Amino acid sequence: MRPSTDERVSTGVPGIDDMLKGGLISGRPYVISGTTGSGKTILAIQFLHQGVKQGERALLVAIDEPPQEIRENVRALGWDVGKIRILDVHPATKAYSKRVSLVEVAAQRSVGSLRDAGPSAKTEAMKAASPDVSVQSLQLMLKQELQEIKYSRVVIDSLTSLKKLSESMGDTNSSIMSLLRYLSESGVTSLIITDLPDPAELEPEMFICRGEIRLHKRMVANRIDRFVTIEKFRGSPHDPMPRPMSISDTGISVDSKKKIPKASLKMLQAFT
Amino acid sequence: MIKDKVKTGVTGLDDMLEGGLIPGRAYVVSGTSGTGKTALAMQFLLEGARCGERVVYVSIDEPPNEVKQNTRAFGWDIGRIQVFDATPDVMNYDKTPVRDVSTERKVVYFSDIGPGIRQTSEKNPVDMTISTLQEILKQEMRARKYSRIVVDSLTSLRYFYIKTSEENATLMSFFRLLSDLGVTALLTVQLPEISKPDVEVHVARGEIRLHKWFDGRGLMRGITVEKYRGSSHDNRLRMMKMSSTGLDVKTQAPEKREQAAEEEGPPIEDTDLPEPPAPSDVAPAPPAVPIPVEPDNQSPPAGLPPKPVEHHKDGGGI
Repeated sequence: MRPSTDERVSTGVPGIDDMLKGGLISGRPYVISGTTGSGKTILAIQFLHQGVKQGERALLVAIDEPPQEIRENVRALGWDVGKIRILDVHPATKAYSKRVSLVEVAAQRSVGSLRDAGPSAKTEAMKAASPDVSVQSLQLMLKQELQEIKYSRVVIDSLTSLKKLSESMGDTNSSIMSLLRYLSESGVTSLIITDLPDPAELEPEMFICRGEIRLHKRMVANRIDRFVTIEKFRGSPHDPMPRPMSISDTGISVDSKKKIPKASLKMLQAFT
Repeated sequence: MIKDKVKTGVTGLDDMLEGGLIPGRAYVVSGTSGTGKTALAMQFLLEGARCGERVVYVSIDEPPNEVKQNTRAFGWDIGRIQVFDATPDVMNYDKTPVRDVSTERKVVYFSDIGPGIRQTSEKNPVDMTISTLQEILKQEMRARKYSRIVVDSLTSLRYFYIKTSEENATLMSFFRLLSDLGVTALLTVQLPEISKPDVEVHVARGEIRLHKWFDGRGLMRGITVEKYRGSSHDNRLRMMKMSSTGLDVKTQAPEKREQAAEEEGPPIEDTDLPEPPAPSDVAPAPPAVPIPVEPDNQSPPAGLPPKPVEHHKDGGGI
């Protein structure tokens, strides 16, 4: 057995923790990838929520969506997410307002409505709205924020958008390395949300990150078939098999004991 | 025929390389993420350390404290491997003068690496460049005469330390430096899921490629020698396992893939670096879906690109 010095961090989804043989390794950056609507943001919020339930400080860096929308979207899950802090980096808010809290949770809303629009179309519009968001400026904002509050969990939603926004800002691969390094040096366990990577390209975050959780979504007849894979997890054994996932009104759940349907497995084989 | 080849530390791989690597040359270990590049590189250094050689690990993607933590489960004693922390600092984005990194960072033993990540100096972050790295390597080689070096990874070196416009020339000069130093080098290269040949593979004297793919039974691993100048080598894909002590290459050529799967036994637990003895509460993945396989299919399954690109059967590259 591994020595106990490896502190594991629960993702908030017990099935995924099982796949990771206990959870993420503390203080390291991880990527969550998946297509639009695969559940990346919900997983990320579940991760932050798990933190605040344990009395930790958790921060959501919101780039894709304005905080109000996220708040509405998670209402349906019935979680007390009021303690999750949000750093609003959505370019529409020119004057960036620090630390809007996700207060009051109530009402009913379908999870299915979460993020139907594609991020790339959105980010084009966002880019026009404001050019001054970049990997570099985010690192500096985070530094201010972390000096005041000791966060143990941070989510960046999403790096794909952030990179598109900062295309013209002279950001380099080194800026991304620097941002992730900064989070590690601050002792933060972070989840970096990205779109599904282009299989022919190698993005720096993909080889810098210490692990990747990939969410898959596939239409079968008239229902959506969801599953999750651990693509990479440095320093720990993990489940090599894809496992079925569902999104309900209590959030994401993964059955780490079950196999995925044959048809989905075939699809996966075609890709990996 | 070249005598006194350098053993890689992975027995089956040495067989594939007809004894090992030719000393004093630079080789690439390539593969997608999680294929075992760092594990192979570490085994190469451990083998050297076991023989009393001086060996050094240049860490660029991962902080040494994490590398150390990750290898622990293999039960390796990496304390005698020396390590140079070439991971970049957090960028300051101020226009403060940056200092030469060679005065700030030293080669140390892994046994001296603590559990925490090195903190960027608040006032004086250092700026690592390819030229300072080359300078440090030269100084270190003069002082300590290493016989083996690992650069993990060359991909990070390219992405973070080399300007795109000068990429090819700089990489060539880096390889040139290594060969001038007379050190046997393993450089890891991260491949995207679909890859095309890149410059470092052309410049290297050989390429060992690690593969993983998914079949109905679970995760399968393989290894190929894509290129090996100046030596004959095994041209086939060989099955590989990550065991609790490291990489384990099977040189028995499976005639059929099904047979290979049988020899492999039940799918093993996957791991990126260390794999502790499989916990008993984890059931092996069930045998699952039968996948149609051509009866005489010796080539790897779809998605794998392990066609050997170049064969130098008889010292072609000298």
